[in-house]
Amino acid sequence: MPYSADALKIYLVLGLSSGAAGGLAVMLIPGARRRLRNMITLLFAASGAVFSWLTALSVFAGKGTRIGFVSGDLEWSLDPDPLGAVFGLIASTLWMFATVYSFGYMAEKSGQRVYYSFFLFSLSAAVGVAFAGNLVTLYLFYELLTLATYPLVIHERTPEAAAAGTKYIMYNLSGAGAILIAIIITYRYAGDPGFTGGPVLAGVNSPMLGWLLVMYIVGFGVKAALMPLHRWLPAAMVAPTPVSALLHAVAVVYAGVFGVIRVVYSVFGRGLAGQLGISRVLPWVAASTILAGVIVALRQDVLKRRLAYQTVSHLSYILLGAFTLQPWGLAGAMMQMITYPFMKMTLFFCAGIIARQTGETRISRMGGVGRKLPWTMAAFTAAALGMTGMLPLSTFWGKYYLMKGSVAGGMWPFALVLAASGLINAACFIPVVVQAFRGDKTPSCKEKGGSMALMFAPAAALVVIALVTGLVPGIVWPGAEAVTDWFFG
Amino acid sequence: MTAVIADNLPAFVIIVPLFAGVVLPVFARRQRLVEGLVVLAEAAGLAGVGFLAYIVFTHRGTDWVYQMGGWPAPWGIELTVNSLAVFFLFAVMAVSLPIALFTMGNLKDEVGSNKRTARFYTLFLLLVGSLAGMALANDLFNTYVLVEVATLSCCGLVSSRGTPRAAEAAFTYLVLATLASSLVVIGIGFIYVTTGHLNMGFASQGLAQAWQDRPHVVWLAISFVLVGFGLKSALFPLHVWLPDAHSSAPSPASAVLSGLAVKGYMICLLKFLYVVFGPALMKEFSVDRILVLAGMAAIICGAVMALPQDDLKRRLAFSTVSQVGYIYLGFGLMDENGLAGALFYLASHAAIKSTLFLSAGAMIASAGKKKISEMAGIGRKMPLTAAAFTAASLGLIGIPMFSGFIGKWYLIAGSLDTGDFLPTVIIIAGSVLCAAYLFPVIRAMWFETPQKAKQESTVQQECKTAVQHAAEHMPAGPGVPREVRVKDPGAAQKLALILLTAVIFVLGVVPGPFIELARSAAAELLMLR
Repeated sequence: MPYSADALKIYLVLGLSSGAAGGLAVMLIPGARRRLRNMITLLFAASGAVFSWLTALSVFAGKGTRIGFVSGDLEWSLDPDPLGAVFGLIASTLWMFATVYSFGYMAEKSGQRVYYSFFLFSLSAAVGVAFAGNLVTLYLFYELLTLATYPLVIHERTPEAAAAGTKYIMYNLSGAGAILIAIIITYRYAGDPGFTGGPVLAGVNSPMLGWLLVMYIVGFGVKAALMPLHRWLPAAMVAPTPVSALLHAVAVVYAGVFGVIRVVYSVFGRGLAGQLGISRVLPWVAASTILAGVIVALRQDVLKRRLAYQTVSHLSYILLGAFTLQPWGLAGAMMQMITYPFMKMTLFFCAGIIARQTGETRISRMGGVGRKLPWTMAAFTAAALGMTGMLPLSTFWGKYYLMKGSVAGGMWPFALVLAASGLINAACFIPVVVQAFRGDKTPSCKEKGGSMALMFAPAAALVVIALVTGLVPGIVWPGAEAVTDWFFG
Repeated sequence: MTAVIADNLPAFVIIVPLFAGVVLPVFARRQRLVEGLVVLAEAAGLAGVGFLAYIVFTHRGTDWVYQMGGWPAPWGIELTVNSLAVFFLFAVMAVSLPIALFTMGNLKDEVGSNKRTARFYTLFLLLVGSLAGMALANDLFNTYVLVEVATLSCCGLVSSRGTPRAAEAAFTYLVLATLASSLVVIGIGFIYVTTGHLNMGFASQGLAQAWQDRPHVVWLAISFVLVGFGLKSALFPLHVWLPDAHSSAPSPASAVLSGLAVKGYMICLLKFLYVVFGPALMKEFSVDRILVLAGMAAIICGAVMALPQDDLKRRLAFSTVSQVGYIYLGFGLMDENGLAGALFYLASHAAIKSTLFLSAGAMIASAGKKKISEMAGIGRKMPLTAAAFTAASLGLIGIPMFSGFIGKWYLIAGSLDTGDFLPTVIIIAGSVLCAAYLFPVIRAMWFETPQKAKQESTVQQECKTAVQHAAEHMPAGPGVPREVRVKDPGAAQKLALILLTAVIFVLGVVPGPFIELARSAAAELLMLR
């Protein structure tokens, strides 16, 4: 592959700007040309993915690149490191699946032009979060991600959606405010050395550092749905299913998780973070969110809300791994980060198919759905097993390394928490499957039609990917290894 | 000729708008000529300020003191061209030029008749000229005169629509502003009595001495000046007149009142406090604490009061109360970063609030609806106007790459410098509340579809059908209202909105020179240099 410096810069810029360019293009196309618009959406989403891949692979190969723009006292810079590369890879790749699913799910809905353009805008924002080279650039794209996803949350135009949108904005802007204060304090301590040259705050000694860390964690914790900052997430489930699947199970919430990891490893560094006692306190916060989230999920009858609370729980798997400050823990966090979205998006995709074909959103009324939509429910079952962390599905590996990390760090109770969470996850989703196949009500619907194929294909592809990567984890392991080497090497 | 202008540039920047304003009524009948003259005067002012900025940048550290008529101080009148003056002049000219542009061709619809247009332009130019003077004047009494000119022009602008509500608002404003002027003049009197000087530099030296001998008089002077200018610039809780006055004025007037006039008084107060009384006296009398507290209260209370307003312009007017709080907060921090941030925020807010009022005015004029709840879907019909409104809103909330973010960045840095954490939290809380009162507007404009008429009874429907039927088959006469097409305003208005949005972006993306200017102004005021 050509890895000349100029080519890398071009890949980086194209990876970042594909989404924004596509969003503008979609906005300018008249509403009637649906096919053309879909083609353009897919084209730009694919171009974003391809160039993010090229950038990420070059980063894994040890060839980073940097683009900076000085404005006043601040500098906006893009400078991907392995952690950013992993996030950029996941986000941009899964975007294509969600885009294809959207073609089916949104086929007869109104407001598609706005939907697709902001769907693409948020791709750019997510890639920007991933590849940001310093704190203020990270903040810029983090804010843009909130703004670009707002129209998607309120897409249904109901009063409920409007209220959820307001909640979404309020929670996320408050979190961003805390981050902004923390960033300004960081700049006062250490200036702006960027992420790639070792921890930003290395060598700084101040009694305020603990509070600074709390401020960062609270700020990013809002998007990472760390309890009790998670309330916007279930509310945001009024959005169309592809949005819930991609943004509120993966991209947006991952931006929060990514921010937390970024702060712990790139801003504070594991040395300073260890001194501040991160590994003594924060894993407990994460562990309680893991259990509380999934227990609340058990009590939800609306399938999407159950999935939302389960997202809250699963995001804290990643945080738990990062907070252990152990190489295996971070590797586990990365494996979880890479493997979990396949299964989670499958669950959401299936929930969307069920809701669209039968009109049912409540689990208690899904009796007999399995008979009518056997393939969908098969994919759902596979993904449900994936949520429990069962071989041969790839999510097993995330959990395996997380447990390894917590035991290696002398924190074996967290291994128990993970095991217990797996069981409760089973209790969450297996009854749904049983209910779907056993129930006697038979809603009238079919598993056929053009849009059905468009919706089912991404779900099936994700299950296949999860199976393959579960059997051959070596495919995704280099990503986790690169990040672990980067921070621990 | 060029040499004459270049040598007397500070005076020209003030005189050109004032003179143009006075001459305008002569051509009142010739609308095009009047408009051209206004824009020409504005452009000349902007060019002059650009040249002044060039001078300040090349001769850094030394002020250009211009003596009117060549008479030296303390007898003559001085104009000081320093970083602060140039910064504020830039804000005034860069924002008032687009506002003037916006009024081209459609001012008659806003104010009623051609006669009123000429009057409006006269007042507008007098206001701009007096604002320019406030930035430059280095003399207490001339500052007062310019403040009076500005106040009376503002009053006229508020009432220029001629509706009873506007008249009432203008009257309230007149009473309070006159009260404020008399407070200011009493304060100036005290300073003059104790020091014997009206020149700011000499008065300042005199006050340092007078403070030892007669502290009570100095205390009275500082409190009269603070309350007087505080009332004029809506320092919380002296803001009561603002929402009525700014929301009942015609939109271009609202833009110039909220965007610039209030800032002029703030700059006057800033000069009185920092230049005349000096940072040491401010600390002695806890003026800094008062400003910070009032600023924080304004940020929160103004935003909370803006939340329930359904009238778009009233919501924006309350937002001004809140935003002015940021600037006062920065004035009170007594810190280079904080003061620079406050000045930057002042310029940023001038551009943003003008954009908001102008675009809101265009929407109100085109759709004939004032309330936010009635504006559903207007963004699709007036995309450019609504886009300008959205960009300005994001700037006000403080999204990076817009001007508000840079201002807030330095304000937060400044409040962290002082070691007090509360202002920092209030700044962020104000941004979140700002999103809370602006996002519903954005949502209504872009993402809501116009509501269908409420369920009507069959009889009403039948009547309506009959009327419609009749309307369709009758020629459109004066009795039958025609359907008004809601669309973007004309080319001049579009250009004005684009220019203002460009200012917001330029300040946000390349803030370098502007923040440098603001910072050197802050350093001069704090006497760090």
